[in-house]
Amino acid sequence: MLQFLFRRTFGAVVTLILLSAFTFFVFFSVGDPAMMSCGKNCTADNIALIHQNLGLDKPLPTQYWDFLAGIFTGRDYSIGHCSAPCFGYSFATKQDVWSTLMDRLPTTASLALGGAIAFLVIGLGAGLLAAWKRGTVLDKAVTGVSMVLSSVQIYILGPIVLGLFVYSGVMESPKYVPFASSPAGWFMGLLLPWLVMATIFTAQYTRMSRSTMIEQLQEEHVRTAKAKGMPARYVFLRYAWRGSLIPIVTILGMDLGSLFGGAMITEFTFSLAGVGRLAINSVTTLDLPMVLGVLIFSAALILVFNIIVDATYAFIDPRVRLS
Amino acid sequence: MNTFSTRRARAAIVALAAGSLALTGCSSGGGKDSKDKSKSDKDAASQSTAVAFGTAAESTGPAPAVKDAKSGGTITVYQRDSFNHLDPAQMYVSDMKVLANLVFRGLTSFRQDDNGKQTVVGDLATDSGQMSDGGKTWKYTLKDGVKFDDGKPITSADIRHTIERTYAKFITDGPTYVQQWLSGKGTAYRKALPDGPYKGDHLPKTVLDTPDDKTIIFHFNEPQSQLPYALTMPGYSAVPDGAKDTQDKYDVAPVCTGPYKIASFKSGKSMKLVKNTNWDPKTDAMRHQYVDGFDITFNHQASDSTKRLEADQGEAKNAISFSNAVDPTLTKQVLDDPNASKRLVQGYQPYVWQMNMNMDRLKDKKIRDAITYALPNGQIVRVNGGSYGGEIAGGLLAPTVAGYEKGYDPYGKLSHPNGEPEKAKKLLQEAGKTGMKLVYAYSNTEARQKEAVVIVDALNKAGFDVQKKEVDSASWYEQMGKVDNGFDIYMTGWGQDWADASTVIPPSYDGTQIQDGSSNYSHINDPHVNSEIARISKLTDVTQATAEWVKLHKYIVEKVNPAAPVFYTKTLQLYGSNVGGTRYSSDISYMDPNTLFLKK
Repeated sequence: MLQFLFRRTFGAVVTLILLSAFTFFVFFSVGDPAMMSCGKNCTADNIALIHQNLGLDKPLPTQYWDFLAGIFTGRDYSIGHCSAPCFGYSFATKQDVWSTLMDRLPTTASLALGGAIAFLVIGLGAGLLAAWKRGTVLDKAVTGVSMVLSSVQIYILGPIVLGLFVYSGVMESPKYVPFASSPAGWFMGLLLPWLVMATIFTAQYTRMSRSTMIEQLQEEHVRTAKAKGMPARYVFLRYAWRGSLIPIVTILGMDLGSLFGGAMITEFTFSLAGVGRLAINSVTTLDLPMVLGVLIFSAALILVFNIIVDATYAFIDPRVRLS
Repeated sequence: MNTFSTRRARAAIVALAAGSLALTGCSSGGGKDSKDKSKSDKDAASQSTAVAFGTAAESTGPAPAVKDAKSGGTITVYQRDSFNHLDPAQMYVSDMKVLANLVFRGLTSFRQDDNGKQTVVGDLATDSGQMSDGGKTWKYTLKDGVKFDDGKPITSADIRHTIERTYAKFITDGPTYVQQWLSGKGTAYRKALPDGPYKGDHLPKTVLDTPDDKTIIFHFNEPQSQLPYALTMPGYSAVPDGAKDTQDKYDVAPVCTGPYKIASFKSGKSMKLVKNTNWDPKTDAMRHQYVDGFDITFNHQASDSTKRLEADQGEAKNAISFSNAVDPTLTKQVLDDPNASKRLVQGYQPYVWQMNMNMDRLKDKKIRDAITYALPNGQIVRVNGGSYGGEIAGGLLAPTVAGYEKGYDPYGKLSHPNGEPEKAKKLLQEAGKTGMKLVYAYSNTEARQKEAVVIVDALNKAGFDVQKKEVDSASWYEQMGKVDNGFDIYMTGWGQDWADASTVIPPSYDGTQIQDGSSNYSHINDPHVNSEIARISKLTDVTQATAEWVKLHKYIVEKVNPAAPVFYTKTLQLYGSNVGGTRYSSDISYMDPNTLFLKK
């Protein structure tokens, strides 16, 4: 297990370094960030001064090395010392990148967790029900509805929900309220985004849990359990369901990784200031430190969730052994 | 100023312009039907007259009470973009100007009366300035009782510090008018005080003098008639001399001087403004402090803020937006909604969109004229939101600039909103260039892409062979600003810093300023234009200067034609039903934040 974790962590770090290097060097082919800070005075002299202020006058490999080293050792800037893990200061707003990320994370994490609970409970429940009642009207209805919902997108459903509930005055506009300051405010503020996310993600989980469940029910060990005279409900939940979880955990791990890294479209649609929104804004303002910070942070989350998923396999399925 | 000069501002206008043909029912070809209540150039008169310099009496507070105004409550503000800067010296773009008006004060400010007439009055200073020595010397005296938000009185040392810190290397984004007038053109002024005032150096008294705690004297080498205007810019708002000026860090935690101060700011998320208890209304001739504060949240697209304000439910009743306009795709819906249509503020923005014709490549005026005649300005206006989003331009001075002449239209764009392909074809024939290749660059935003379709079609009809080049919007102005950009025609927007042509003609048409990054996008380098710019810039009589700028403007448009006028921009803003005291500010180009109150 330890060997597995070490190997995967090492792989993740290498992936992150390669990803950040790629982004760093590609970034400069897009445009010059100094153009965002020169007001009406975008003359060569002023641009050169801004390059100097932002540290962009140094050779690219040096800049990249300084950036990498800063993550582990911290860095000194004219604006002040940036302690490790230092991702630098935003070109656009002079805000500390790491603090900004940490400030945005609760919104994104709340969105991801609440949404995940909703779509897991509804999705898995509906999928199991459909598998249990396979071939019945109920199964067909659940399958049909999930097919329709899986084709809807957040940017279509979101504005419809906003129109029905928010612009009509039925509910307050979605917003993030810290759980500690008001649990009810936190719940009500994110309820609509959760429901929209759940509606869209649920379909995928319903279909997947139904099909894997049906597959599992045809497995030999399930048949054996049934032949031994075990109660159908026990076989269904103890034997078949456990086996059907592996692909679901895989998808869930990937979904959670992406959601924690920023649910861009959801945050954009509901005007929520999470990590996803930060990613959009930093790309459009050529804010390199923020772009790199968000990217590494999001990618790291996806990698961490992947490792967790792989580790979880061993617990779900005793046939899987990590080495 | 090029208010499009930072990408956020450009993007804001793109967003304003982005959208649809949904307004074709409101307006056709830039003309107006009977239901159309959009601002027209007739309405622009109050925005385009030369702004007078106010007296001490006009500069004395308190500001006249707003009719029926009540105190209390908090206004909610829906904003798309967060504020990039809080250091006033770094502030330039319009949405920051709204914020700056609430939290910062400089030596002078624009005051607008109930009829929309503007006057430059003393803000921290007792009047708009005492000029002597033929415009080379300007004296300001600070009012009694003006303080920073920590209670420290504002002195002449603070004003000297405010000016001197704009020389420091970390200030790169704000205006440079005063620095250049005091210490040298371009970026040469920085040599006068390379580290700003932070290492104990100061400008000599022969340049900037503070003989006592209340008096500031500016000494220029050349007459500078525009100083009272320039000092109204947020970029010259007072910053305290001392430990509270944290240099680079000041951009995240400034000291305020206006009726409100920043209680909290989470970049990209929210900002809270609360009353500044050290602001004394008796010292302020144009601001009020009716509401307790402003709760600003960011990330609201124009469609979202429009829908919330139109629905007028819950907190939206107390809401406004500093700079989000009505989404162009929703304009018709808002105008048709009887509840929403009475909650609108509208006015001209200072921007003129022009089709630059690269004079290094298009040397024959007949070709440039052919392009100008061929352009379908009316269709381009429709793409940009119809008559509530813009208006066909006949010249290169916006209706908001002093000297704008209503109906000035030498290329007949108003009478031929869809262009004159036959006339263009004939001119092209005369130039012997029928079928000539024309490299047309446009940015990859929705509005510019839609414009490209109608522009290419019109130019091809006129006998050109248009080669489209789509350019990434993030690097648009960077690429267009290159002297050797490789393009023949490209549209850019330009807006004045204040209602005077001196902030439009020199930056856009002075041939001596051509270099990479310059805002002379058409590369016009005409000796007559260059010498006239130099001459008129030295005139001390603003009225006389305005008349001369008008003559020069006509010369540029008719005799040189470096850029085809395309459209003037307008804005339309919606507010919640419980918000009172709403009006358009000609200076800010958005809703005036100073007069707002909540009805209950």
